[in-house]
Amino acid sequence: MKRTTWRRLGAFAVLPLLGTSLAACGSDGSGGSDSNSITFAYQIANPNAKSVFATLAEEYEKTHKGVTIKTNPIALNTYGSTLTTQLNAGNGPDVFFVNAGTGQAGSVGTLGQAGKLLDLTGKVDASVVPSSSKSLLYFNDKLVAVPPYLAPTGVIFSPRAAGKSGFKLDSTSTMDDVISQCKKVADGGQAVFGLAGAMAPNTGIFTSAIAASTVYGPDPDWNAKKAAGKTSFATSAGWRAALETMKDLQDAGCFQEGAAGAGFDALTNGMGQGKMLGFSAPAGGAKDIMDSTKGAVTLTIQAMPAPAGYKTYLMAGTPDAVAGNAATKNKKLAEDFISWMTQPAQTQKAADASGEIAVGPVDTSKLLPQYEPVAPLLKDNQVAPYPYLDWPNGEVYNALGTGVTGLLTGQMSVDEVLASLDKAWG
Amino acid sequence: MKHPAAGATSPTGRNKMNAATAPVNDSHEAMRPAGTTRQDRPGPRKKAGRRHGVPTWWAIPGVAAVLALIYLPTAMGGFYAFTDWKGIGGWNWVGLDNFRSVLQDRELLGSLKNTMFLAIGFLVLTNVFGLLMALALNRTLKTRYLLRTLVFMPVVLAPIAVSYVWSFIFAFNGPLNQALGGMGLDSWQKDWLADPTLAKFCVLTVMVWQNIGFVMVIYLAGLAAVPVELEEAAALDGAGRWNRLRHIILPSIKPSLAIATTLMLIQGLRVFDQIMALTGGGPAGATQTLATEIYQQTIVFGKYGFGAALALLLSVMILVLTSLQQLATRDRSSVGA
Repeated sequence: MKRTTWRRLGAFAVLPLLGTSLAACGSDGSGGSDSNSITFAYQIANPNAKSVFATLAEEYEKTHKGVTIKTNPIALNTYGSTLTTQLNAGNGPDVFFVNAGTGQAGSVGTLGQAGKLLDLTGKVDASVVPSSSKSLLYFNDKLVAVPPYLAPTGVIFSPRAAGKSGFKLDSTSTMDDVISQCKKVADGGQAVFGLAGAMAPNTGIFTSAIAASTVYGPDPDWNAKKAAGKTSFATSAGWRAALETMKDLQDAGCFQEGAAGAGFDALTNGMGQGKMLGFSAPAGGAKDIMDSTKGAVTLTIQAMPAPAGYKTYLMAGTPDAVAGNAATKNKKLAEDFISWMTQPAQTQKAADASGEIAVGPVDTSKLLPQYEPVAPLLKDNQVAPYPYLDWPNGEVYNALGTGVTGLLTGQMSVDEVLASLDKAWG
Repeated sequence: MKHPAAGATSPTGRNKMNAATAPVNDSHEAMRPAGTTRQDRPGPRKKAGRRHGVPTWWAIPGVAAVLALIYLPTAMGGFYAFTDWKGIGGWNWVGLDNFRSVLQDRELLGSLKNTMFLAIGFLVLTNVFGLLMALALNRTLKTRYLLRTLVFMPVVLAPIAVSYVWSFIFAFNGPLNQALGGMGLDSWQKDWLADPTLAKFCVLTVMVWQNIGFVMVIYLAGLAAVPVELEEAAALDGAGRWNRLRHIILPSIKPSLAIATTLMLIQGLRVFDQIMALTGGGPAGATQTLATEIYQQTIVFGKYGFGAALALLLSVMILVLTSLQQLATRDRSSVGA
């Protein structure tokens, strides 16, 4: 082929590319420009499981004829950076999932500071926000996010696997009761608790669930005191007890062998094979597991037993929230969709679909069956907030997770972990 | 020692050693008719702004694209290294604060040490084993083509996928410990990825295992240019295997050595996938490197300014070390020729 022919072909090839690029540059800024269409982004951990947010979007479309909610599920590990990039670029979703509080990247605090969140004050029913969650969902006294459900975190427990080794755990059990049974369970080829020790979020949440009883149950305002400089991790008896409990559990053989270097796959494999009796995770995970096994596995939610000298509290709160984009071009529809989500019928649907608990006053008669062991704690409001949601940055929670791993591998002492938490707080 | 090939001359008058390296080091020189130089080469003088008949301005779109897509974003990233930007909203100019924080943070200095350990270990081991493989599979063996394919095979796999397979192998109840147990070596069974020292070696093992084939191919290409008769002449002169390797083969494949070491150094300095899949930077930060710190600070903690400072430091480190490495391995045989 002659050189001139190649040049012409090249020029023709460039035109569509140029056109596409220009079209991309000039595309609509935020979500759908159609007044009956909005975009809704949320994070997903398991692409095979149907998200509660997809269920809510479908339900809204059904009850609001002519309205389209374009859902955009984004993988958990890239959600924060994707959302902030989109919001920065002016093409963020109209409505989106957001982490409550200030402790994580892409949370209410960070996005509120940047002016990216739609003011929902007076637009949605504020009574849906639990009083303990107000500081997590308001920014500058304006309501900017609402919780879709109340999420407890304790131990996802398999009564059937426990039955094989005669292990007993109920709402009255203490951590000493658990530790005293660990050897017997281990001798039977099982582990009382599965731990993904290489994963900071898992060691972090396990320890946080203990700290619910040792720190935040007795003193829900501990974080405020820490922020005011009135206390510290290093001087906190409760935090010391929580970390020492992790070490005690390891020394007693309560975790599976090789727990310190294990990943999340060790938990799924261990639970699937009946080699673990339970693990610490948000309670909604129990429903995901039961659904994925089509009911072959029955799991319950247990509160993390308290160490000696402490009363057991269930860690529960609103770590997940939904917010609107301040730059949305369809403000009315975005507000209406969020407001609709906060109505009792929808909060119950969201709770059932996610395996969590409906926000608002807890009605124990409406809890899913797996919550039966923690119903007394919920009824008596023996509940402690998530520690890390209003920590000043994500580094503190990471220091907790990696510090506990260091504790289990012998790299760090309890004092060193506590000092690293104070340092990360800043 | 007298050079084993000394005295043997090529048809062009160069000795054989230079003839062996000439096509690689100075291909234009080699293509010239014997006895001519650049000044007295026949033919019309090149038209200004043209090279091989192609106008120089044709390069402008390509250069502009490279500048716009690579160097401009890099420069912008470098700018954020001097700010406290959190990935969203406004930012404040913080000068050198981010760099001071890096140098004062014990964990980050640990990451720097890990980066150097993995980079140097990776550079040395891949080159040693890659060269040995290339020498073993260069000639003689009938099955060499099959074996080369087998050794090269891991290179085409995604590092993240390979690392997940290895994490299963290294798991406490994984095949490695089971095999050791099966051989009665129970005392050798370890929690490989939970031991701060062993975990680093596990990462290094996976990195080296996957890249030996790549380095082998580079050295095979170099070895193909070493004339058989040169080695034979040296052997006839009484040079043993080591002397032939030391004085004939290695000098002849110096350009391959330069390429292989440069690429492995860069790859080693920016190791990321293997660590994320095997240890996640743990246990307790024991295998964190600068690349994983950049990810953590930027994506996990949302400290984009600080992450940019780390990225800038890593880039400068790569630039300096590869420049030094280039200086160390450059071929000086053509200098002054």
